[in-house]
Amino acid sequence: MAKVMVSMPAELLAEVDAEARRLGTSRSAVLRGFAEAALRGRPADRAAAMRLLLRDLSSHGGNSAEQVKATRPRP
Amino acid sequence: MSTLLLDASAILAAFDPGDRHHETARVLLADDSVTLATLDLARYEVANVAVCAWRAPDAVAPLLFALDRIGNDGGVVASTSTLLTRAAELAERHAISVYDAAYVAAVGEGDRRLVSCDERDLVSKGLAVLPGAH
Repeated sequence: MAKVMVSMPAELLAEVDAEARRLGTSRSAVLRGFAEAALRGRPADRAAAMRLLLRDLSSHGGNSAEQVKATRPRP
Repeated sequence: MSTLLLDASAILAAFDPGDRHHETARVLLADDSVTLATLDLARYEVANVAVCAWRAPDAVAPLLFALDRIGNDGGVVASTSTLLTRAAELAERHAISVYDAAYVAAVGEGDRRLVSCDERDLVSKGLAVLPGAH
């Protein structure tokens, strides 16, 4: 596992350490968990939003690629 | 986690049940096992199709909302001068428009793939894959 140096305000580090004590784990494990949650959460958030968005759709005739080309500005 | 860059046609297909790639595009947009990104050009293209082809201006807001969600996931690549210069070279080499080539250029180097419903100019030339083929 790679080792990195991270700079952060002392107050934030104190909160990280408090979370590590609460969970009975290390500072590194807490920061690793936060990073994983943030990065893995983005596709999950997008996917959840899309499931809501892609309901009750109306048909528009298909051929999306041709529609894109047909509506581009012409020289 | 791999990153897929979607062009406007892939996003539009997900919103159009009449499109033959609708189901695979819809599943892709709702797939949380991949990271999705797009190019800023897609904002104009989806809005243009909604207004000028679909005659459905009400569809613009949800389409742009979808693009914002994609932006919060893998990002919206900016059409910089560097990217468009590369796009111009790709357009010349593959005999495609600079618009299409801009998406190809946005894929850049690395672990990204372009997803498009454009079989004629992108998929057939190996520059993109269809939704569901990633």
